[in-house]
Amino acid sequence: MATIEHNGKAYEVDEDGFLLKGAEDWDENWVDYVKGVEGIADITDEHQKVIDALQEYYKKNGIAPMVRILSKTTGFPLKRIYELFPSGPGKGACKMAGLPKPTGCV
Amino acid sequence: MGYDPKNPMEGRITDLGPKYYGDMLPPVIKENKGKWLYHEILEPGVLVHVSETGAKVFTVRCGSPRLVTVSYVRDVCDVADKHCDGHVRWTTRNNIEFMVDAEEKVGPLKETLKGYGNSFPIGGTGASVSNIVHTQGWVHCHTPATDASGPVKAVMDDLFEYFTSMKLPAQVRIALACCLNMCGAVHASDIAILGIHRTPPMIDHERITGVCEIPLAIAACPLGAIKPAKAEVNGEEIKTVKVNNERCMFCGNCYTMCPAMPLADPEGDGIAILVGGKVSNAKSAPKFSKLVVPFLPNTTPRWPETVEVIRNILEAYAKGAKKYERVGEWAERIGWEKFFEETKIPFTDKSIDDYRLAYDTWRTTAQFKFTSHTAAYTK
Repeated sequence: MATIEHNGKAYEVDEDGFLLKGAEDWDENWVDYVKGVEGIADITDEHQKVIDALQEYYKKNGIAPMVRILSKTTGFPLKRIYELFPSGPGKGACKMAGLPKPTGCV
Repeated sequence: MGYDPKNPMEGRITDLGPKYYGDMLPPVIKENKGKWLYHEILEPGVLVHVSETGAKVFTVRCGSPRLVTVSYVRDVCDVADKHCDGHVRWTTRNNIEFMVDAEEKVGPLKETLKGYGNSFPIGGTGASVSNIVHTQGWVHCHTPATDASGPVKAVMDDLFEYFTSMKLPAQVRIALACCLNMCGAVHASDIAILGIHRTPPMIDHERITGVCEIPLAIAACPLGAIKPAKAEVNGEEIKTVKVNNERCMFCGNCYTMCPAMPLADPEGDGIAILVGGKVSNAKSAPKFSKLVVPFLPNTTPRWPETVEVIRNILEAYAKGAKKYERVGEWAERIGWEKFFEETKIPFTDKSIDDYRLAYDTWRTTAQFKFTSHTAAYTK
């Protein structure tokens, strides 16, 4: 497994750049790193709101929220979420929030 | 403008959809669209469609391995350029069809195709064994229990005479899926090859926390065999799952959802054979295929056991079925107990349904035929 270094901190990641240890390794510095690879200029309050919603839901339920739930809790329609995270809620937002890589037939 | 990784959204074109199919039609198809009167199969692999305007289109169908290189596609394009004004199409069973608008053009086209050796075998029409609809296998997927391209090549080599002829009672559709996700047509094919596991998943407690959404793995199980559990990893208590092996039927759904629960096993994995499915509404309603052979080993690279079983089923069907009768219609007419006798397949308890709505599949009548299989019980 690969290790990524950013601003002096090392993260264990898989081949798609998702954190292997999840919340244990996650911090603001990780958000700053993913921001670069996902083509996001600045982390706005809206980005933060999505990240917080994902982390809160994951902590409570052990799974990532369904897209409709994410839209409902943040108030952002899917279109807006794609504007914030060009790779989408799974590959973009979940990666940034330190959630496990989405699985299944994707 | 090239792609700029620093500005991924700049100049980005999206939501275009596929190209309009009308742009790629041969002129004779475009002009006679919606006006076709009738068609005939001139010989195995060659069709003619006649329009009400009198126009004809001759179609030559060739087998393809589905998984092909760009050079192979370029060969297809060369043939299409030479004979069909650059037009060609692929069928829903991944055969290739070359179309010409005059009968005298068929001969040269066939000659050219033969010039490519075995690349473009002509056939797959009428009461034949056409191409095998199949999946990724060990070429690309992470959940397979068998390979796809390998067994398909082995089976089609053996049944090649049925691809290039039309001597069966009806068309026989063979499909393969390398796990019971059944991507493709396995659940509704005359003969189906299905990759199966026979061992429960192995749980990687060290990885599970980071890579798994545990409730998803639990909900993925059709038999409720997975439950949340605690385990100790490096002196720390972590949340994980526990599998009740007695309840597990090795479907692999949990591995699809959770990378820390792999179950592939070289000895345990193999192939099951299902028969009797169809999707058409002709004469009888669409049917699901049913399990007849619970396990055959993965004997690479030629899968001789699988090839033999499929040929046996096909030959028994060709001998016993009436004209136009599909495999499933034949089996239901003679009775499944007779099907097992005719095909000399040993009946096992694995064919007896035991999943939720199983009761309806058992025999609730005294109507049955004595066979060599029942003889053992009635002696």
